[in-house]
This record gives sequence, structure tokens and C-alpha cells, in this order.
Amino acid sequence: MVTPMLAGLIVFAVYPFIYLVILSLMKANLAAPFFLDFSDRSLEFLADSYVGLANFSDAIGDTRYTDSLWRSVLYALVTTAGALILGVAVAVLVDRAVKGRSLLRTLILLPLMTPPVTVAVMWQLLLMPSGGWLNSFLMDLTVISQPVSFLGTSTYALPFLCLADIWQWSPFVALMTYAALQTQPADVYEAARLDGASGFRIFRSITLPMLAPALFAVAVLKLVIGFKVFDLVFVLTAGGPGQDTRLTTFHIYQEAIQQFDMGAAAAQTLLFAVMVGLITLPFTAAHDYAERRLS
Amino acid sequence: MSADSTFRSEPDRLRFTGWTPLRWLATLAAVLFFVFPVVFLVMVSLKTQSDIATGGFFPTELFWQNYSDAFASVAVDLYLRNSALAAVIGAAITLLLAVPATHAMIRFKVGGRFLPGFVLATYVAPPIVALFPLFFLLKEIGLNNSIIGLGIVYGVMNLPVAFWLLSSFVRRLPVELEEAAYIDGASYFGVLRRVAIPLLMPGIVSTGIICLILAYNEFLLGAFLNKPDATKTLPTGLALYQGDRQLRYGQMAVASLAGIAPVYVLATFFQRWLIRGLTSGGVK
Amino acid sequence: MTELDVRLSNRLNAPVTRRRFMRGAASVALAGPLLTNPALMRLGAAADYSGETLRFLVINPHAGSIEPLSAAFAELTGATVEAVTVPYDQVTAQATLDVVSGANEMDVFQYWYVDKEALVRDGVLMDITDRIEADADLIDPDDFLGALYDTYTLVDGRRHGLPYDGDTHVLFYNEAILERNGLKPPTTWDEYFNVAKAVTEAEGHNGIYGALMMCKQFPIIIGSTFANRLGGFGGDFLDASGKPALASDAGIAAAQAMLNAAPYATPTPLETEFGNAIPVFLGGQAAMIEFWTDLGTWAEDPEQSAIVGQWGVVPMPVGGGNTVNRPALNAGWSFGVSAGSHNPDMAWEFVRMSATKDFHISVLTNNKTGVDPTRRSAMEAYRGFAPKQADAVEEAIENAFPWPTKPESPELMQVLTDQLGLMLAGDKTPEQAMTDAQAEWERILG
Repeated sequence: MVTPMLAGLIVFAVYPFIYLVILSLMKANLAAPFFLDFSDRSLEFLADSYVGLANFSDAIGDTRYTDSLWRSVLYALVTTAGALILGVAVAVLVDRAVKGRSLLRTLILLPLMTPPVTVAVMWQLLLMPSGGWLNSFLMDLTVISQPVSFLGTSTYALPFLCLADIWQWSPFVALMTYAALQTQPADVYEAARLDGASGFRIFRSITLPMLAPALFAVAVLKLVIGFKVFDLVFVLTAGGPGQDTRLTTFHIYQEAIQQFDMGAAAAQTLLFAVMVGLITLPFTAAHDYAERRLS
Repeated sequence: MSADSTFRSEPDRLRFTGWTPLRWLATLAAVLFFVFPVVFLVMVSLKTQSDIATGGFFPTELFWQNYSDAFASVAVDLYLRNSALAAVIGAAITLLLAVPATHAMIRFKVGGRFLPGFVLATYVAPPIVALFPLFFLLKEIGLNNSIIGLGIVYGVMNLPVAFWLLSSFVRRLPVELEEAAYIDGASYFGVLRRVAIPLLMPGIVSTGIICLILAYNEFLLGAFLNKPDATKTLPTGLALYQGDRQLRYGQMAVASLAGIAPVYVLATFFQRWLIRGLTSGGVK
Repeated sequence: MTELDVRLSNRLNAPVTRRRFMRGAASVALAGPLLTNPALMRLGAAADYSGETLRFLVINPHAGSIEPLSAAFAELTGATVEAVTVPYDQVTAQATLDVVSGANEMDVFQYWYVDKEALVRDGVLMDITDRIEADADLIDPDDFLGALYDTYTLVDGRRHGLPYDGDTHVLFYNEAILERNGLKPPTTWDEYFNVAKAVTEAEGHNGIYGALMMCKQFPIIIGSTFANRLGGFGGDFLDASGKPALASDAGIAAAQAMLNAAPYATPTPLETEFGNAIPVFLGGQAAMIEFWTDLGTWAEDPEQSAIVGQWGVVPMPVGGGNTVNRPALNAGWSFGVSAGSHNPDMAWEFVRMSATKDFHISVLTNNKTGVDPTRRSAMEAYRGFAPKQADAVEEAIENAFPWPTKPESPELMQVLTDQLGLMLAGDKTPEQAMTDAQAEWERILG
């Protein structure tokens, strides 16, 4: 039963992974062979291009890369936290709405359904210095007298990138939380209510613990998605200003697609994957723990 | 909503603590936040280039020409069809592989603790370098520049997501029903088909929709694997606007709207299913 | 104009619909009197490729060239032409991927000269030296402007393509804005700064700015803005011995000039690239912009421009002790034959056609293509089509200097891009940025 899925994953995940590992040990550009067998060309490539762990030590020594790693960690954590807080809040609000719940849900789902490229276009239109809605709105309110370059100044660029991300992914969290809320047994609430517990108290000591497994599951997925974000950066900031929004995926993209250093890009991808794994691990553990505790 | 009435029991109303003005405001603010960029996109789609530069909210005059221009200059309808096909093929493949596999892995603990971890791990690395072997792989089986090829890639790419989402549904399946079916002499496939899948249906639908959306929205692989116009997907087509000599924001907005409209309609239509699916399985 | 030019331009002035060019091209091929027209002979027609399909890779900003190229080649050879459009920052990777993976879907690649050595090293572009020599009378290589021919196509003494779009920047200005502020178009970067400052201080509150500075962090964008100043101050990217020369007086002065003018440019330089700059200039909301020469043809098109007849153009300003106009070869595109082409003869004919005088003139004088002059002999036709730019280009192009073309160039320019971005974001002084860029260049070049 598991075999077809594994076969699929092996062909489309394991083979690229092995390729990635081999390439990370090579000095390789775009012309590196894509399939390594025992042909002369492959053997010659392997013999001539082997550089050991040089790509890894280069990556660790390259502050542009290491800075991008920390930036990606920050980005993933901030957007996950933001999406969780906003998403849970919205789910609770929708859950308690009396009327129009269906309409509310549809409206709130819109961002999730929007391709990231389109999300980027939308936020570009909102944030442009000339013609952007936010700037003219703030100027009308005389909060600012000159247009602010939200995506071109160090102070604002990363926060606004995060905002666009949170906009897109909160609905995902809201959807999952909402679904989990619907399945919570009502009798617990009834008992708590009869004991005279306050609304917030109920939320904190009953709702939240019961939501915990769902929230951790969502957090894990959102974390990984946050680490893998590419389209938003590609369209909105191209990593700028300076390196303020250069997230690791974009760095690797430039390394491979624009600078053709495939060996370096492979090594950086592997280090990045390890980093993502390390950051995600506590969340998967917490998920398992919460699930065990609940059942 | 039938979904609501089905799953909210009578005493549940006690949870409702009043529709206070504060709560009303918060809901309004949330809806505004999520809807506003989309509405602004609609406004931009009706503005002239010079109108856009002023930054106002409403168009000064309705400029419908963006609509005909956008469809004339970029094959939005074609890209739309390609994206939809690739996404449907992708989601179908994902479900076809993931449903039995997830069921088996959870139910019989196939692969112990290692396999679930492994499945998730394959989702972690960004697919930029993997692009190159994937491209080669598709070329070797003659499926490069084809919607089917891209669909297969999407299908496999989303397996870990599907596994992660489906596993909690599977965990909640009552084992007794399956066991009873075995006692009645049903084969594994029979049990899967007649007992497990019907019970999992809501979860399968919601997982399918999420995978559909993920595939429909994918950009980087689409850009490299399907280059010719005939097989280009919508995100790739939209990104082309960015490299134009003049950014035609109005047309870009039209194309973007054309791209999201079908998904929105689908979402409204399937919303009931989606919620019910997530609800009855319970995401844990 | 030859008969072909007239026919081409008639067809080309119809609105471009990217999706329909194939059908259009095919029908033209069927209807056109093949190879009977003497004008066609000057494009180099030789073989009949009816029934064949030629595929070429083209960057998105050149989408306007797809129709003229496809129609002319279809008419010339009977072949069906299929263009594949990709973003300009992916074109080299896509071309390399096509050949190295063995997919070999393409016959012809459009390429940026900065990447030429990497493309040749990776075996992506075919050596066409002998073919060029055999057709030398038709191609007339001596006719290419300045250093353009060698810069675009020569690697280790061999040719790997022919120039298509001869890109350099000139300085466009809005006559009305300068006039009402009592200003003259600048000839030095100091004057440029003063004009920008004066206009922005006088009219900035009305949304009219002294300058547009394209500094979005793509090498081709912010790199061009820097290169214009680097050349103006008499500097070079690499010195005569191939060593980095960024931390030179000229390099630092160029960076400083960018930083000084940035506050008076349309907000904000780091978010500005050609896509969002052009509408602003054509809308009459900025006094100056450094741009490729083809901007002038749009400025004269009342459909897209609010400044018809109200703009002028001067060569790039100079600065420091330098008085010689040295524009940079910013961007610059050629066509080359794919090493994996199934039909190199046909691919070669396409490349040759795209570079011939007659075809060059037909796209040069077409306001949909954005092509800039590559040939001396085209200047006369260009003068008739774009009198204002022609003077500025001709005056300067003989001294134009190239960007680095080493295989490491993409990395070099990315490093420079990042440092300039950091400087504009206020994180580094020009001196720091140039010193750091210099150090990284030295490390990369070993």
C-alpha cells in the first residue's frame, strides 16, 4: 500500500536528494551532468570536480548566506506566530458569529486561494510609493508628508513582507482551527460555564489545550512553507534593500539560476534543510505530545 | 449551514457569550483586512495607467479596456486552463497515492516512527536545485513541457502535505468497523474501499482541495518545466508581466483576477465540503 | 525603405498579440511569394524550410520582437517560428538547461553578452565563426558600431552570435519641466544633481520629481545606473590587466553621485525599475531619466505618452576630471545558434537574418520592439525615425565601455548590486560599499 507513494517519493524526492548530495561535494556549474551513471562523462566529472566539503565551509564562511539563514528563521517564526494568532482569533470570531458564517468563511478564505505571485502583485499595488494606496491614504490623513518606500527602506521591507505572508496564510490557520473548534465536545464547556468560569478562562484552560494538537500540526506546515517562501521575495523586493529581505531560498535561487554555482547552491540547500529540520523538530515533538495527552 | 447544524450540538449554544460591539468590530476589521487587497485589485483593474499613479481608491472613470487588452496580450485563458489541468492531475495523483499509503502507515504502523518523519522531511528542502534533475527526469520519460508531466511533479511534491493532513483523519477512524469487515472476510482493498474511504471522504476532499490550491499556485517549477506558451501555467504567465518594459498594472490586475476567480468560485462551492471534511475528521 | 520594409512595418504596426503570432506567421508563409522578391535576398534567403519549425528563446522585454522576427523568417524560408518567452534573469539558466539536459528544444537563444563566456564554456552556443566569414559580404561585420561586435560575440577569438539590440543609455529630459524651472539639461553629474534637487524642491509636493533613478536590485537595473556614472567619471569595472577597479576614485565618485541624487529622485530608487519608471516619465512626472535609446520612440507615441514633443535627450553626463563621453554597454542582446539545435543551418539563417542591415532597420524603426542601433549604416534610417536620440548615440557609442564578461561576471555584478543596495539603504558609505565590493571581486577572481 505504501509502495506507490514511496516509489513516487523516491523517484521525485530521493533521486534529486542524492543528486543534491553529490553535487554539494563538487565544483559544479549548470553544465554538470544531471544523471550520474558509470559513463565516462559522469566518472570524469566526479573525478575532476570533487572538492570535498569546500562548498559547505564556503557557505558557512559566507556572511551573505549565513545572514540569510537567520533572516529566514526569523521570517518563518514571525509569520507562523502572526498567522497563528490572527488565524485563531478569526476562527474564534467566525465560530461565534450568529449570522452569515458561510459568507464570512468564504471571504476570509480568499487570501489562501490566491497564488503567491498574485499576492505579491496586490501588495505591490498597495505599497508602491507613487500610486500605492497605503501611501496616499496616510498622506490624506497627514500622517506622512512624503511617500514612504515601504519595500525600499530597511526598517519596513521585511516587516511588510511578513505582513503579506501573514495575510496569505492566516486563513489556512483559521480554517484548520475552525474545523477543530467544531469538533470540541460541548459538555466540557457546559460544565465550565455552570462552574461560573469566565469566557477568557474557558478559552485558556479548555479551548486552547484541546486545540493544541491541531495548532501544532498547522504550525509545522506553516513553518516549512514560511521557510520555503520564494515568489513573494522574487516579485516584491528581489532581496533588497541591501540584503534586508534576502531569504535563503532567494539566495539559493540567485546562486543557482543567476550565478550558475550549482555546487554551492546544493550545499546551501542541504544546510538549509538541516536548519529547517532543527527549527521544526520541537514543533513536531510538541504536536506528538499534545496529541498523546489529549487521547 | 447544514455543516454547522450537524456538528454543533444543542448545549453548545452556551459557548456563545453574546455578540458584543467589540466583537462585531473585530470581525469587521478582520474581514476588511483579508478582503481589502482583493477589492483594491478589482479597483486597479478598472483604472487607466495615469489613474493608478494617483493612488486613490476608486477609479475616476471605469476603464474596461484593461479587460480586453489583458486577454489579447497574454493568453490568460490558455494559462488558466493549463494551471487548472495540472492542478487537478496533481491533486488526483496525490490522493491516489497518499490515501492508501497514509491509511496503511497509520493503521499498521508501517515504517514505524521513521517513515512518517521521512515523508515530512522530503518536503523541507526548497526545490531550486532539484529543478535540474527533475527537468532531466521528465525529459527522459518524454513528459517535459507537458501538463501531465507537471501534474505528476505536483502530485508527488504534495504527498507529504497530504500525508500530514490525512494522518489525523485516519487516526480518528473507528478501528472496530474495519475489524468487523475483516471478520466478514473482506480483503484489505475491500475494507479500504468500502469502509475506510467512505468514512475518510470529508478528509480526502479537504486534503484534495488544499493540494489543488498548492499546485495551482506553484510558480518556480512551472516556470522551468513548462516554458512554451502552450503549456505555461498562470503564475508563470503573471510573472511575465513583471518583466515587461512598462508595467501595465491595470492589465496585470485583470490577469490576476482572472486567475483567482475560478478558485474563488470553487472555494465558495466546495466550502461546505471543505469545512465538513475538516470538521468530522477533526484536525489533530 | 525597401518594399519588404514597408510590408514588414505595415504588419508590425498592427497590435502585437503574442499568442497569435504563430498562426499569423504561418499564414504569411503560405501567402507570401517565396524567394521571388529581391528585397528578401538581402536578408540572406537561401533555403526553403517549409514544414520545419524553428524555436527560439527570447527575453520578455523583447516580446515585441517576436512578431517581426517570426513573420520575416516565415516569409523568408517558409518555416514556422515558435518563440518561448522567459524572464530576462532566467534566460541564461534556461538556455543552459536546454542544452545540458539534452532536451534540445531550442534552435536559437537570445543571450546577454555579460553571460557569453559562461555560455560558451558550458557548450551552449555554437561556434559560428566560419559561417560568418562565409557570409561576410551579407553580414558586413565592419558595419557594427564601436566595440559592440566584439563585446557581444567574441570569446577566445571565436564568434558565437550576432548582435541584435545595441543597448546604451542616454539621458532623457522633460523640456517643459526644465523650462519652467529655468534649468538646462545637464552635461556633468554635478549639474545633474543640481537639476534633480531644484525640480524636486520646487515641484516635489505636486508629485513631480527631478529624476528617475532605476535602482531595483537586479544587476541589469542598478548596475546600469552605476555604470553610467562610472563611465562618466572615467572609471572602469576592471582595469587593463583585468583587476577589479571599483575602489578607485572614479568608482567611489560614481557611487557617491548615486547616493547624493537619490533623495531627489522619484521615491524610491530601490523600488524603481524600467517597468514602473517608464510610465512615470511618459506621464510627465519626472524631469530626467537615464534610459535605453528606444524610450524616445514611446515618448513620441501619443497613445502612451503625455510628453509628445516635450522631451529632449543628451549624452550621459561626465564628472570629476573626465570630459570624454563614455556610455556603458548596459544590457545588450544577441542571437546565437544553440549547440543542440536539430537544424543548425536553419538556426543560423535565423540568426543571420536578425542581424542583417535591412532587418535591423525594420525593427529599429518599429516602436514596438525596443531595439537600439547596432550598425553604422542604420544610423541614417534611425535619424529619420528618432532624430533626437541618434545624435546622442552616435556621438558616444564609439567610446562605449562594456561590463565584465568573465564567466564569474554574474556573481561579480550580484556582489556589486548588493553593495550598492546597502549603500542606498543607508547602511554603508560609498567608500565602504566600493571597498567591500572590490574585496569580494578580488576574492572571486582569485
